[in-house]
Amino acid sequence: MGQLGALYAIWLREVKRALRDRGQLVGGLSRPILWVILLGIGLNPYFRGEVYGEARFVVPYTYLQFIFPAVIVLNILYTSVQSAVSVIWDREFGFLREILVSPMPRSLILFGKVLGGATVAMVHGSLVLALARFADVSLAPADVLYGLGLMFLLSFAMTCFGVIIANHIRSFEGFGVFSNAVILPLYFTSSSVFPLDPALTHSQAVVVYPEWLVFLVEINPLTYAVDALRGTFIHFHQFAPERGPIVIASMAVGFFLVALYNFRKS
Amino acid sequence: MHAAADDGTAAGEAAGTIIRVEALSKRYGRTLALDGVSLAIRPNELFALLGPNGAGKTTLIHILCTILAPDSGTVTLAGFDVVRQPLKARRHLGVVFQEPSVDDRLTVFENLNFHGLVYQVPAALRRKRIDEMLKLVELEDWRHALVRSLSSGMKRRVEIARALIHDSAVLILDEPTSGLDAQSRDRIWTYLMRLRRERALTIIVTTHYIEEVEGCDRVCIIDRGHILAIDTPAALKAAHGRELIRVIPDDTATADAIQASYPAAITGGDGTIVIEADGDAFAEAFLKQFGGRVRRLSIDSPSLESVFLSLTGRELRDQPAGKRERTYAFGRRGGEHTK
Repeated sequence: MGQLGALYAIWLREVKRALRDRGQLVGGLSRPILWVILLGIGLNPYFRGEVYGEARFVVPYTYLQFIFPAVIVLNILYTSVQSAVSVIWDREFGFLREILVSPMPRSLILFGKVLGGATVAMVHGSLVLALARFADVSLAPADVLYGLGLMFLLSFAMTCFGVIIANHIRSFEGFGVFSNAVILPLYFTSSSVFPLDPALTHSQAVVVYPEWLVFLVEINPLTYAVDALRGTFIHFHQFAPERGPIVIASMAVGFFLVALYNFRKS
Repeated sequence: MHAAADDGTAAGEAAGTIIRVEALSKRYGRTLALDGVSLAIRPNELFALLGPNGAGKTTLIHILCTILAPDSGTVTLAGFDVVRQPLKARRHLGVVFQEPSVDDRLTVFENLNFHGLVYQVPAALRRKRIDEMLKLVELEDWRHALVRSLSSGMKRRVEIARALIHDSAVLILDEPTSGLDAQSRDRIWTYLMRLRRERALTIIVTTHYIEEVEGCDRVCIIDRGHILAIDTPAALKAAHGRELIRVIPDDTATADAIQASYPAAITGGDGTIVIEADGDAFAEAFLKQFGGRVRRLSIDSPSLESVFLSLTGRELRDQPAGKRERTYAFGRRGGEHTK
C-alpha cells in the first residue's frame, strides 16, 4: 500500500498541475479544432483528386477521416512532451530534490511521473474524439475502448521519450524549441497529413514521392502508431495491421528503460 | 579485540551519536570542496554549520541528504550508511534545501499531503501531522492557498512544515533564512526553538548569518573544506574571541600614559584608544589605574563575528550570482507551460 500511495501522489501531482495549466488546456482544445476543422475541411476536396484523369490514390476515405486519427497522435505528442518538460522545471526549481531525498526508489518516481504525464496526454488525445462527428467518423464502443488502450500506451511511450530528451537538455529556453525541433518533424513524417498509398509497392512509392521522404516516413515509428489508430477508428491500414501495436508497445518499454537509465544516472 | 571495539561503538552510537561523519572528502574538478571532514552530532542537538559561501557547507549537507556521493569517507545517519542504505537513511531525514523546492502549482495542503504520501505516512497520522505543522508555522489560514501566491518567507515555512510530516529524527536546513527579511528570519528561528521543545529532533542548520548561531548548542565553523572549530558558542568565544576596551581619555597626558602602559593599544583618529583585553582582571586593573581620567569607556564583548574573523582571517563573503540565473529569470517571467 505504502509504495502505491507514493506512486499515486506523484501521479496525482502531474494530473493536478496539468489541470491547472490553462495554456496546456487551451492548446489541447484548439489544436484538434484547427487541424480537423480548418485543415481537414479545407483540404478535403483535394484529397482524392484525379490527376490527369487517372485516380492515383486508392484511399477510400475523406481527408477529414484520414487526418482524424493523426490529430489524436498530434495531441498526444504535444501533451506528452510538455509534461516531460516539467522534468526540467522540477530540476531547475528544486522540486526534484524533494522527491530525490524521499525514501522512494528512483524507478518508482519515474514510473509515477510517466504515468501521470501519460494520463494527461491520453485525455488530451481523447478530446479529439469529440470531433468525430464533424470528421464523419463513427465510433463503435469497442473501437473506442481498444483505441484508448493504444492511446495510453502511445502516451506512455511519448512521455518517456520526452523525459529522455529533457534529461539531455542542460539549458532550457522554452517549449517552442521542442515543438519545432521534435514534435512537428516527427508528426509530419508519420504519414499523418499525406498517405503513402498502400496499393503501391515500395518501389512505386519511391517513384511517386522522393526517396528520402519515403525513407523518413518508413523509419519513423510514429508512422505505425498513426497507422494503428487509423486502423482502429476508420479501419484503414497502410501497413500490416499488427505492426502498429507492436511498435507502440516496444516504444513504451524501450523508451521507459532508456529514460530510467538516464534518470538513475543524473 | 578490534571487532569487540567496533561492536562497542555501534552500541554507543545509538545512545550518543545520531550522525557520524568520518574523513569525508569531495572534489569538484580541481576544487577540494571537503577535505577529510569528521564530526559527530548528538541526538536532539541544534547544530550549526557556519561558513562563507563556498566553504563546503552545502556539499556536506548534500552528502548527508544522500543526493551526492562522497569521494571518500563515510557518513552514518541514524545508524544507516548514507551511501549504501540511502533509502533507509532518508526515512529519518527531513530536509529544507537552500533553494525553494515546493510545488508552486499545488496548494499548501497538497504539498504537505504529497510529502506524507511519498514518505508513506498512514492517513490518520498524515492528517494530524499536517494540522500540527501548519499550526506550528502559523499557516493554518493558508491551507488551501496555491503556493505561488505565498511570499518567500511563507514558502520557507511550508518547507519546514513539510520536512516534519514524516517521523524525521534529523532535520537539515540549508540556509533556511537566506534571502528573507529580518522578521521572517526571526520567525523561522522561533519555530525551530519551539520544535526542539515539542519533539525529539536533531537539527542541523547552515547559515552565513553569524548572529543566528548564538542560540545553537554547538557551532561548527567550516571554511574551504576544513573544519576550523566545533564547540558551544560560549566556548568558541572564550577560546577565539577577543574582548576589546575602547576608551576616550580626558586629556593628551592621560592618552600618553595609557599608551605607555599598554604598548599594544591602538589610537584611533577621534582620540579613541582600543586595547585588547586579556582576561576578566584586565578591565579591573585598567579602571583602577585610569578610571578617573577617561571620559568614556566601552567594552566590546567577544562575538561569533570576531571568532570567525580570528579563525578564518576574513569576513563572511557575499553570495556569488547563481549560474542558473537565466533559467530562473525565464521561469519568473511566466515561462511557457512551466510552473
